[in-house]
Amino acid sequence: MLDLGWFIFLSPFFGFILILLFGRFNRHLPAIISSASILVAFLISAKIFLGLGSGTVYQSYTWFYGIHYGIFIDHLSIAMALMVSFVSLMIHLFASYYMGRDPNKHVYFAETALFTAGMLGLVVASNLVIFFLFWELVGLCSYLLIGFWFFKPNASAAAKKAFIVTRVGDMLFLVGMALLYTYLSPYTSHPLSIPYLISQSNISTIVAEIGRYRLGLVAVLLLGGAVGKSSQFPLHVWIPDAMEGPTTVSALIHAATMVTAGVYLVARVFPIFLDSASFSIYLVLIIGSFTALYAGTLGIIVNDVKRVLAYSTISQLGYMMAALGLGSLIGMSAVPFSIYHLMVHAFFKATLFMAAGAILISLMDLRDIKKMGGLWKRMPFTVSLMFIGSLTLAGIPPTAGFFSKGEIVSASYAYFLHYKTIASLAPYLFVLFGEFFTALYTFRMFFLVAIGRPRSYLAEHAREAPIWALLPVAALAVLSIIFGLFQHGFYSYFVPSFFVVAIPPLFDWLPLIFALVGIAVAYLFFGTNRWKSMKIARNPFYRLLKNKYYLDFLFTNIIAERVIHPLSSAFGRFERGYNTSNEKFGQSVVSLGDTFRRLQTGVVENYLTFIVAGISVILIIVLFLGGL
Amino acid sequence: MYTSPSVWNVTGASSLQHYYPLFVLAIAGFVILFLGTLRNSRRVFASITFGALILAALMIASDYNAGVIVPAYRINSFTTFFAILFIISGLIITYPALKSIRKKGEVFYALLLFVTVGMLIAAFSYNLIVIFVAFEAVSIGTYLMTGFSRSRRALESSVKYYFVGVLSTSFIIFGLAYYFFYFGTFNLVGSSALQANSTAGLVSLAFLVAGFGFKMALFPMHQWALDTYDGAENSVSAFLSTGSKLVSFVIILKLFLVGFNSIHQYVFYFFLIISIASMTYANIAALSQKKVKRILAYSSVAQAGYLILALVVVSFTTSATTISYAVAAAMYYSLVYLFMKSGSFLAVDVAGKDDATLEDLSGLGKRSPTTAASFSILLLALAGVPLTGGFLAKFYLFLSVIQGNLWWLAVIAVINSTISVFYYLRIMVYMYARPPKENDTFVLSYKMKVPVYITAAITLALGLWYPVFNWILTLSGGLFW
Repeated sequence: MLDLGWFIFLSPFFGFILILLFGRFNRHLPAIISSASILVAFLISAKIFLGLGSGTVYQSYTWFYGIHYGIFIDHLSIAMALMVSFVSLMIHLFASYYMGRDPNKHVYFAETALFTAGMLGLVVASNLVIFFLFWELVGLCSYLLIGFWFFKPNASAAAKKAFIVTRVGDMLFLVGMALLYTYLSPYTSHPLSIPYLISQSNISTIVAEIGRYRLGLVAVLLLGGAVGKSSQFPLHVWIPDAMEGPTTVSALIHAATMVTAGVYLVARVFPIFLDSASFSIYLVLIIGSFTALYAGTLGIIVNDVKRVLAYSTISQLGYMMAALGLGSLIGMSAVPFSIYHLMVHAFFKATLFMAAGAILISLMDLRDIKKMGGLWKRMPFTVSLMFIGSLTLAGIPPTAGFFSKGEIVSASYAYFLHYKTIASLAPYLFVLFGEFFTALYTFRMFFLVAIGRPRSYLAEHAREAPIWALLPVAALAVLSIIFGLFQHGFYSYFVPSFFVVAIPPLFDWLPLIFALVGIAVAYLFFGTNRWKSMKIARNPFYRLLKNKYYLDFLFTNIIAERVIHPLSSAFGRFERGYNTSNEKFGQSVVSLGDTFRRLQTGVVENYLTFIVAGISVILIIVLFLGGL
Repeated sequence: MYTSPSVWNVTGASSLQHYYPLFVLAIAGFVILFLGTLRNSRRVFASITFGALILAALMIASDYNAGVIVPAYRINSFTTFFAILFIISGLIITYPALKSIRKKGEVFYALLLFVTVGMLIAAFSYNLIVIFVAFEAVSIGTYLMTGFSRSRRALESSVKYYFVGVLSTSFIIFGLAYYFFYFGTFNLVGSSALQANSTAGLVSLAFLVAGFGFKMALFPMHQWALDTYDGAENSVSAFLSTGSKLVSFVIILKLFLVGFNSIHQYVFYFFLIISIASMTYANIAALSQKKVKRILAYSSVAQAGYLILALVVVSFTTSATTISYAVAAAMYYSLVYLFMKSGSFLAVDVAGKDDATLEDLSGLGKRSPTTAASFSILLLALAGVPLTGGFLAKFYLFLSVIQGNLWWLAVIAVINSTISVFYYLRIMVYMYARPPKENDTFVLSYKMKVPVYITAAITLALGLWYPVFNWILTLSGGLFW
């Protein structure tokens, strides 16, 4: 008997099939089916959440060679499942407005339903192999949805870029999994089962048997997968381009859910990171915190509203990673620290993206914030929602962002206090200055969009979206305000006695101060008209940022064009030569067949001769080989 | 040295009931002949034949564990398996043959039943004289069946078949004479101890293989087969290339596994050369063929080469598990081969021409997608593409070759099946990629299509239903007692 938990991801999957079958017959049907199926998934998740208590749900069947397929639901996965299904539901509701006139609506909703199924399947998967299959499924959906408007050349190029860059990470993930399987298969019959890997008693046996360093290697390879999926430095280059897809896709996949799968992977197998050699978890910390700052600095010069949000996503994912990286001090409490920010981020980032989507619809897809301005007067409700989202993103109380992000910054100061080395100071500085840049780019974008005078015809004639379309956005905005109430409850749901950060009060308030300074700077330049008279085009720092630290240049122009392309064309030449020689060989074989055919004279006397002669020759050869 | 008079005592056995299946078939044959004097209703004959075959199959299946009836006649799981295969090969062509018989239907169906009796005796018998007589019964019956349709081509092919058959008979008789001369018996079971390392016995081996092997169409005894399969009616070709070919195979299997001591360098080289030559020659020769039936005929020669691989393995290895694995692989191959080969010969009927070329099949995919798909499944199975029974058959066979430490031979076999993909796919290319001709001659009645559907479905099912092989592995043990 299948556990109810299976239907968490089967329900959207059935929705996907129904849309494929019937979606094209009615304009409204696809949105209704997909929303309904995701609502069912949400309700099932809620039911399991209420009934779960302190236990887990685990049901699995053998697939082959010790690989099981099944579901494993513990507190981590049910929290994720609730978040994913809820946010996805809200975004689907908004998408019924946003995608309202698209002729390929049924394709869109089929793909997003499939994506949601894949994401929920990934969340409840009981085995790393199954996890990986769903991981690839959401990657595929991401590819399809980024390129949904495939007639835009940018969109299809971006889809390819996203697919290829994440593939690098996936490769590492796969290798890590294979290594883990090889290491563990002598000791256990189910080496890749998640409940097996994360149980405390097993992990110490694993460490004893395969050693901390080899386990650390596995952890680093898994982290490689997470870095690709969660777009951490240096594999972050695909997300900004992915903004070519529909805005709801950006909200669903590239802000709230899929990109968090990498963080979720690390959190899922967190005991491996905790108990392996310490370099693995430090790598998590340093990558995460560096990305948080790095992407934040990139955000301050971008003029495309969606790209600003994309960089902020990268940066916030960096915070989540950094929180996990603090595990060497705070232990398993790192997981709720990180997942709490993950959920808050999902709420406010979906809010921001959908508000931006409403603006883009009204401005005929004009995405340059320098051409907006004064929209608060013209679209008060939408821009207010965006304001709430921005406050949460910048971490201003009383929004949930203040609690979720502040806790991470404070904890990393505690981390520095505990270790007192440069290596432990760097992450703290990264995330602290990250706060400043977050506030700066967020409110730069917000001020340019919302206040001042309209700077284009379209902005002058902007109109509010219908109120029903904005209700789901409002729901998420409300959540991002009040979710801070649940901070400690959330932490203790994961780890009953979670790590309490105790640092001097000044440092507790430092993140807020940095954020406020950031907002003030943003207002100073972008709340007024001062930015128009800035001459920064020749400023070296500006050019560095404009070229994204030359990382794209390195990947595309140096690695891809100078190294991989010549290599592949050399392979291509080899291939061609090989093919021609194959063809030649094939032709000669066929003509040999012709010769054989001529032996077939059709005269029976010849056949008899052939038999007798043939047998005799064979016998002579046999005698010769047998050595008579 | 004449020691065993009971060998001749075939019918005087204590329990006559084990021969009832043979009686059923023979009596049904005579009933048909009798009815034929009254009226010529071919459908009735076909139905009687069909019923008799089914009845005989059920009786044989229910009696599979009877054991040694007389030393010359043994009913065990191995012989029963092949007996059922022979009956199926008759069943498959019973109704499709209706198309080609205009007059004297009673003779054709009576012949089919008599031939089946011969095949069953050949399957069950462990005595070379009995085997020889049964083999000749099969040969003479099939000479007549080949020439039955009275077209020039059929007659010519029948005559060629006959001449080669006569030569082979003389080989067999020589072989038998040598066998008796060296071992003092015609019995297969008792003789293995006699010739532990008898080089002299190999002379008889060579003659016997040359004689029995002609029906398997092994290189260099294959040339008649191309003309005969090509010239005969499709249903008869199907029968010749499955049932009558497998008779030879089962005889040779018994000859070497029960009769001779199989581990011998000469035996190994002998079968090695024959197997490689059959595979390679036929696969290469088929590449430039344009006639569909000739392609299938060449493929049939190549498949015989694959089948013989099992004998190569058993003559090379000493491990009992490997031997029984190889035998089981050969049995499984025979099972799948039966359906895929007869099905593809019957599929050529759809072209509606005696001498169908590839061109005559062009556009079948458009005219009748289901038939084209079924034919494609059969061809893919012959090529050994996964998800069809042909893949598993080749897989197990090549696996047994590797188990016998002959991986290089497995490489040769795999290369050969790669070559063969070319001509099988070429038929599919014509069916799907070429537009239908204006004046195509397709005959797309249900009588033509249903046998193709059924064989294709079974071939597919065998590919998806893995446990069959394990079941056959348990049956293969019967060979040795």
